Order: sequence, then C-alpha cells, then structure tokens
Amino acid sequence: MPDLHLQATVNGRKVSRTVQPHQRLLDVLRDDLNLTGNKEGCGAGECGTCSVFVNGVLMKSCLMPAAKAQGATVETIEALAKTGELSVLQKAFHKAGASQCGYCIPGMVMAATAALRANPFADREEIKERLGGNICRCTGYQKIFDAVEMARDVQNGALSLTAFDEIDDGEGKYIGRNVRRIDAPAKVSGALRYAGDMVMPGMLHVQVLRSPHPHARIVSIDTSAAEAMEGVEGVITCADVPGEDGFGVFVHDQPIMARGKVRYVGEAIAAVAAEDLVTARKALGAIKVVYEMLPAVFDAEEALKPGAPVIHDYAPDNITKHIPIRVGDIEKGFAEADLVIDELYTTQAIEHAYLEPEAGLAYVDHDGVVTIHSPDQNITHHRHMLAKIIAKPITKVRFIMSPVGGGFGGKEDMIYQGMLALLAMKTRRPVRLVFTREESIATTAKRHPSKTTLRMGMTRDGRITAVAFKMVSDGGAYGLSTEGVMRKAAILGAGPYNIPNLQMDTIGVYTNNTPSGAFRSFGALQTQFATESHLDLFAERLGLDPFEIRRINMMRDGANTHTKQALKSVSLSRVLDAAEQGCGWERGVPNQRGAARSDLGRAGVRPPVTLGARFGTPAKQEAAE
Amino acid sequence: MLLCDHYITARSLGEAFDAMDAHRGGYRIVAGATDTLPWAREGRAGDVHVPALIDVSAIPELNERRIGPDRVLIGAATPIQRFLDDDALMRAMPAAPHCAIWFADDQIRALATVGGNVVNASPAADVTPCLIAHDAVVELASRRDGRIVRRTEKLASFIRGPGKTGLADGEILLSVTCDALPGYGGTFEKVGHRRSLVISVVCLTVLMKLDPGGRVIEDVRLAIAGVRPIPCRIDAVETALRGARLSMEAIENAAAMPLDLVQSRSRQDYRRDVTRGFLTRGLISAAKRAGADPQVFQHREAAYA
Repeated sequence: MPDLHLQATVNGRKVSRTVQPHQRLLDVLRDDLNLTGNKEGCGAGECGTCSVFVNGVLMKSCLMPAAKAQGATVETIEALAKTGELSVLQKAFHKAGASQCGYCIPGMVMAATAALRANPFADREEIKERLGGNICRCTGYQKIFDAVEMARDVQNGALSLTAFDEIDDGEGKYIGRNVRRIDAPAKVSGALRYAGDMVMPGMLHVQVLRSPHPHARIVSIDTSAAEAMEGVEGVITCADVPGEDGFGVFVHDQPIMARGKVRYVGEAIAAVAAEDLVTARKALGAIKVVYEMLPAVFDAEEALKPGAPVIHDYAPDNITKHIPIRVGDIEKGFAEADLVIDELYTTQAIEHAYLEPEAGLAYVDHDGVVTIHSPDQNITHHRHMLAKIIAKPITKVRFIMSPVGGGFGGKEDMIYQGMLALLAMKTRRPVRLVFTREESIATTAKRHPSKTTLRMGMTRDGRITAVAFKMVSDGGAYGLSTEGVMRKAAILGAGPYNIPNLQMDTIGVYTNNTPSGAFRSFGALQTQFATESHLDLFAERLGLDPFEIRRINMMRDGANTHTKQALKSVSLSRVLDAAEQGCGWERGVPNQRGAARSDLGRAGVRPPVTLGARFGTPAKQEAAE
Repeated sequence: MLLCDHYITARSLGEAFDAMDAHRGGYRIVAGATDTLPWAREGRAGDVHVPALIDVSAIPELNERRIGPDRVLIGAATPIQRFLDDDALMRAMPAAPHCAIWFADDQIRALATVGGNVVNASPAADVTPCLIAHDAVVELASRRDGRIVRRTEKLASFIRGPGKTGLADGEILLSVTCDALPGYGGTFEKVGHRRSLVISVVCLTVLMKLDPGGRVIEDVRLAIAGVRPIPCRIDAVETALRGARLSMEAIENAAAMPLDLVQSRSRQDYRRDVTRGFLTRGLISAAKRAGADPQVFQHREAAYA
C-alpha cells in the first residue's frame, strides 16, 4: 500500500507526515498530530464536532480525505486560543453558559468563528443558519446563540470589552444565581480530553464482534484465525470471564459478552485488541461463529402471551418487573363518574444521541489494579459488579469517570467496560475502544417503548373519580434499568393529581429488541404523556378549560401521593400559572382556537422555518461594509 | 470504514484517464467525497475496500465557469457553495441560491460538487431539479484510442432512476450547461425533518418571468424532486400558466390541477398536500421576485406567507 506523503501548515506550523491513503483529515489531526480538540461525533458529516478551517474555509474533517489537505493551511480549535488567552467567542461561550457536556463545543466555536468572519453583523437568524451544520444535544441552542450574539457585539464595540470580566457579585451565594461553569474554559478551548481523546504508549485498539441475529443459540465460536493474525494481541469471548458473569442496574442478567445465546441484534460476542484499528476490524471478519436460530419476539404484548419465546430462563413469563399499586375502590369510583374515557397511548424507542459516542481506555497499573477510564454515569456500582465478574478484590478495580460528552441516562450501563478490563488483563497493555455512531445507536439502551391503556372517570364539574392505568413496556433483551423505570412510572405516571381510586400497573417485558434503559424522566414521560393527553380529552368533552381541569385536581401543600408520600410543598399551582401565561393561552376548551390568537406573533414565539437570512436587507449589507 | 490502496489526485483529464486505465475495474471517482465517506459505513455499504480513489476535483476543466447571455457552463467539480457567493452565477440562475441555502450546510457545500449531486442521481437531489428547470445538458468525456471523446445529453434523460445515470463505464462528467435566466424570479421550497442537513421529503424549484408591467407570465419553469424516482418538470402547470395573466386565482387553479406526480414509496398523501402548498407558495414568491405588480397579491399573500 503506497503511503501518502502529506505536507500542510497546521495551526501555523509546517507539518509533514506519512499517512495511509484512506485516512481522513480528521484521522491525521487526531491520531497523527494528537490535536484532539475537534471530535468525531458521527463520522458522516452530520454533527459538526470535527469542523476545522481548511484554507480559511470551514469544513467537516470527517468528510475530507487527508489527501485533499495537501499543501493546505489547516486551523483546528487549538489555533483559536494558541497563546492561552481565549478568543472573544470562546469567552462569550464561557460567559453565556453555552457549554454543557462540551463535546459539540469545539466544532460549535469553529462554526461561530466562521459565521462572524463571514458576516460580523450577522443577526440571530443568520447565526442560526450558519451554525446549521453543528448539532448540540444539551443546550437547545439558545445559550449558544446568546454567546455568538454577545461576541458579535463585543467585536463590533456595541458591548464593552469588560463585559466578560464583570463577575456577578454573588457574595458566596449560588442558589438562584448565574454561576459560570469552572470546566467551561477547558471545553471551549478543546483542551479537555474525553475518553476517546486519551492515548497511552503501547495502546491497542479494540473492536467488537456483534450479533447479526436477534435470538440464536451460539453453537461455537472459533477465534483461532483472528488470534493468528499479525498485529492482533488479544481476542476475548465469554470464556475469558474468570468470575461471576452478569451485570445490570437491578438484575444482573447480562453477560459481558453473549454466553450460550444472543438475545438482540448488536449484542457483543467477542472483542479484539490489535495494534491498529484496521487490523482489529479485519480480525473481526476472521472470527467464525456458528448460530442456531431461535424464534424471536419483538413486541412486548406478544412476549406476554403463553407460548411466546422465552428470552431468559429465570423469567419464563418474560416479565422483567411488574409494579402494581392499588388505592381505594375503582369500581365505586367509576360508578360515581359522569363520564368515563378509555384510550390507548403508545410511545416508541428513543435514542439519547449524546454527541460523544461511548469510549473507554483501560490498563492494568503497576500495582495490578485494573483501571478503566470511561464516560460512565455509575462508576461505584460498576466497580462492585466488575470486581465480581473478573474475580478480583475491590481494591484491585478502579473506575475513573472521564468527562461525559452527554449521557441523559444512556451511559448508566456497564455495556463495554467489562470487555476493556478483560482485554487489558489478557494483553497487559493499555486498550482503547471508541464506538462508532452507528454502533452507539444500534447497541446501547433506548427509552422504553410503551403501550398504555388508560381508563379515567370524572364528574361533570371536572373532578377525577377513578383511574385504571396499565402500561406494558418493551424492556428489550436485558434488564438494565427496567425495574427502576417501571417503579418511577408507577409513582409519577398518574400525575400530580388527587386520585381517590387508582389501579396502576406498570409492566416491563423482555423481548429480542435492543435493551431499553434509563433516559431522562425515567418512565414519567411515557406515562404522563397518557395522563396529560387524557385530561385534555376530558376538557374537550366536558367543555372545560384545560388549565382549569388541572387546577381542580391538582395536589396542594400537604397532599399525600398514592404511594403515601407526604408533600410538604407543591409548586404545581405556580407552574400552571406560568405555563398559562407563557403560552399566551386564551381561556376555553382546548379544541377551539382563542378568538384573539394572542399566542401568535408574540415575542419568543417562533415563526415557521425559513432559510436565506443571509440574503439580507440592504441595511444589513451596508452595516457589513 | 473506507479503505483504499491508492488516492490519486488527477491534475488533468489525461491524468484521470491514465489512472482509470491503470485501475480498470477497481476505481471509484470522487470529487467532494462527501457522499462517498458516509456510504462506506455500517448500515449502508459497511467496510469497503476500493483499490483506487481517483479525485477529479482539481482538474481545471471541471472547475470552469462560463456565464454567457444565453447559457451558463458549470464545471462538474464546482462546489455547491458557489451558488451562494458567485454573483454572476446567482444572477443567471435566480433559483439556485435559494436551492443551495437548503442544501446540507455551509461546510458540506464547500466540498460537495454540482457534478456529484448529478451523478449520485438521488430521487431527493436538491440541485438536480434546479438544473432541470434550466434545461440543463451534461457533457461527458471518455478516452478511446488515446483520444478524448466528448458527448452531451439532456440532464432530464441522463438521470435514469435512483442511483442510475447514463454515465458509461470509463466516462467522466465534465460540466453542466444551463439556460441563463437573468430577470426571472426564482425560489426553492423544501421540507425535511430539520432546517439543515436534511434530505428533501419534497423540494420544488420555481422560476418565473413576467412582462415589464409585472402582470403577464411570459415564462414559468417548475421542477420537483423527492416525490418520485426521478426529479422532473411539471409540464402541465407550466403550460397552463405560460402566457396567462398573473392572479391569485390563476396560481390557485394551477396548484389545484390534478397531477400524477407522486410515486414515492411512502407518505404519498402527505407529499401531494405539500406539493399543492409548495406550488402556491412557490409561484407567489417567484412572481414577487420577478417584479409582480404589488396589487396582484394585495389581499391574499398573508395566508401563504
């Protein structure tokens, strides 16, 4: 393979490297030049974490073959604060609170820099448009646009240079104040190292062989050809697990790698550590797995039927967890109702889509301590589980939480750290695994899909008399957080309302789908979507205002919830007032538009999306000149 | 992951044909490469090994741009972003800037090329319908017995189906030549799942020329994509409007014409509704940009803004 001799000017320095012809500019910057400020969030040009300047033009370096940068001048995020002093934009991102997890921020700062270079007077709409190629998952973008506008105004002299230095005088108080994040400078400058940015001397690259089948018995795994390949330093399967194999947030039903059978498409079967990524990927192709197909089930209700395929032997009914709650007498409650409504609500699986795909670096240190760096949202629990799995005392297991480039609950599962530990132990070298975006989406937990049947009874004047609530949730192939999600759903699902008679059932079910797990709101979203939609249906049918119907039923200070939790203070009344005011609500039934339509055209209400802000007005062009 | 043994940057047509001869049967031509790299990933082609990638984006002939009074020649390697920063090109192709602003994002437009959008032959291509509205003709080159042979073909027939074109083995797309339409009002309507980086569910190019009084439609050109295997002109509506007096009624009648356009695999009813809305809004917007008499839309425009 003829190598490519690449010469370029990178961040003001002449650089000359021999690279492989398939490498992308991003690979050369990150792997060969160790400029890890710009990230790889998707590898497909969608997210913008890799945005760099090439000859002064912003480009997505994951879409650019390195050969295209021959002779070019390249600037990465590291160029912007080269002297250690943050650029105006970087200061503004810090000041405005625009960086949260920080993973999108280097690319976002680059895009903002490009936007203000293209038009130093760009308005908010034009800024949005010019930042359109960069995705942020944490902020909802408003703080980012605030930051770019602030930087624009400082650059143009409309805001004082000292704007960034005016530290809010909090006199030691923090609650209710804007406090600047102490990690923001590291994030806006690209200096912060996430797990996928970390390297160690002698480090090996890990790739994982995954199941193409949703449910199959593993007849045999032959890794001998992969192990014989030059550059392959270690191959592991479940046979390499020395201890008690099993992890999960509640029930330890998931092996580090598939044991005996696979239960979902994407489940890990074997892992390879090799000198480089290409060799590791080629080695995966040399592992031979013989499967015997098993009937699979992809729907939670189907999985509950007698005779359905059994996913785990310990749960022959495929129920992961059933939480039943009973309050009062629902038959009596429905009898007292003037109106009873039945409805079915379904929600789908949702991916967390944090900008940082899963990554980890593991090694066995000089004292024999198995050490794992990863963006892990639950290191203490994982440390305890892993010690049992690798049969070591807890003092010989160390988890270090690397910066989490977005989690939202999706990084609570020990889904890959076990493989890293085993490979570090087997090879006695540092090993690193970085998921691709596709791997992250296909193999890690999702929000639980759900089907809720809801029956509610109400009096004519809007008082809830009874609720029968049943949610069947697809927990996928492994337990992960399902039990907790079912508990939270049962606790919060009926909403912050006084319900005298309640029958609540939340049921998590095993299927051969991608496992479901923790995701922001943890079961409350699926269930409250049903409850709140139902209240709106009642408002329509009874001719009541939707805010009013909630006020009639809301819990107040001193209320007892249906799980007998005493609430000293309840803020719902204030929340409803604020929501009513904020959305410009005109009183009345929810299926009729208010006469004044005062919700439209108000400040803060977004008009439909249009593009072309940059085509601009003559005034804007004049200002630019 | 895309693997290759050779990455060849051709500096001339001759060098490109040399490389194609040397790697016959084992090469792939790239220009912007913005579609090639995402193609070689899990869920699409997976890990792909191409013996030779031949990069044609630096060939001078593929970067030519000639803007004449009647025709515009655009080299195949012209980045899409030129529709947003080349004033002469923007004047000759008044819908193209509105099309380009909806295409991917600024960064991808800086790399992605006009020729790439054409040869990919996506049913949802954004630029191709815009070019078709300009009666575009493609020029192709191959080398036979040491001689470079050129031929031309109408773009509308060059696209044969999803991912299929009339590009023969050993051929390179050199350029696209379009009608120059200065003075036309142009617009581009598109809907996808977000504002940037989305594939069109429906996209529509509208170009309109009015008489000096802004009252009579002298010419109108409509091209749609995302609704069928191949982007196409909407001849029936064009014929109905060409020569007509501009009025809200004429536009609404045109948009309501029964059209057998939507042949997509999914969401046909939705696409039919969108097409009707886009025709109405697009014709109004193009007419206004073409200098329509303001009285024509005085009372009705708010509903379609």
